[in-house]
Amino acid sequence: MFDSLNISASALTAQRLRMDVVSSNIANAQTTRGSYVNGKWIPYQRKMVVMEPRVSSFSQVLQGQLQQQSQSGLQGVRVAGIVNDNTPFNRVYDPSNPDADSSGYVMMPNVDVSKEMVDLLSASRSYEENVTAFNTSKSMAMKALELGS
Amino acid sequence: MTNINLLQSALNAASLRQSVITNNIANAETPGYKAKQVVFEDILKQHLNNQTSNFVGKTTDPRHFPIGDSSDLPAPQVVEDDSTVMQNNGNNVDVDQEMTNMAKNALWFNSLSKQMNNQFQQLSIAITGRSS
Repeated sequence: MFDSLNISASALTAQRLRMDVVSSNIANAQTTRGSYVNGKWIPYQRKMVVMEPRVSSFSQVLQGQLQQQSQSGLQGVRVAGIVNDNTPFNRVYDPSNPDADSSGYVMMPNVDVSKEMVDLLSASRSYEENVTAFNTSKSMAMKALELGS
Repeated sequence: MTNINLLQSALNAASLRQSVITNNIANAETPGYKAKQVVFEDILKQHLNNQTSNFVGKTTDPRHFPIGDSSDLPAPQVVEDDSTVMQNNGNNVDVDQEMTNMAKNALWFNSLSKQMNNQFQQLSIAITGRSS
C-alpha cells in the first residue's frame, strides 16, 4: 500500500527537479559567461533532465520470488542525470557588448524561452497529476485502516 | 473459500493496481517506458467458475494433486502492453486513461472495504447477539 505513495513521491521529486532546471534555463537566457574554457567565455548551455524508470535491484527481485509475492517491480521514476543541450549558440550582432568578438558578434545561450515555458507547463501538470495520485492512494490507505471497525 | 478471503484477495488486487497506476503516471514522460496493467477480474471469474463442488481436497504439499478446487486465493497479475506507442520517445502511457482508471480503482477499493466491514459486522452480530 505504501509502495504507491513512494512511487508518487519519486515522481514529485523528479518533476520538481525539472521545474528547477527550467527555472535555471530561463534565468540564464541572457548569460554570456557560463563557463571559462581555454581563456574564452562560453555562454550558458541549456540543460535538460533525463528520466528513467527506477527498477528494483537483484536482491529485491530474488526476495520477492522467494516469498512468492506478486512480482510488480514497481519503484517509480528517477532522474538519470542533467545533460547539456549541444545545439549551436545564437549569434547576435551587438558590438557594444563586452563579450563581442572582433567582428561585433556575441554568442548567446541556446535557450528558447517559449520552449522553456512549454516545458514548465508540462512539468507542473505532471506534478498536479502525481499529487492527485498521491491523494487517492492516501485516501485508500485511510479506508484500509477503518477495516473491521 | 469464505467471503472475507475473497474480499481480501480483491483488496490486494486493488492495492497492487493502485501501485501500477501511480507508477504509470510517475513514468508518463520517461523515454521507452511501457504502461502496465493489472489483470484480476478475469482470473477471479475463472477461479469461481472452476469451483464446481463443495468437496475440496486440502493440499499440504505443493506436489499434491488438487481435488475439487485448490484453496489458494486467485492472485492478480501485472501485464505490459509493448505493442503501441503514444509519444515520440517510445512511451505509451495515456495519462487520461490512467487518471480514469485510478478513480475507478479507488471507488472499487472503497466498495470492497465497505463490503468487508459489513462482513465483520455480521460476524460481530452473530457472536454478541446484538447489533451495536
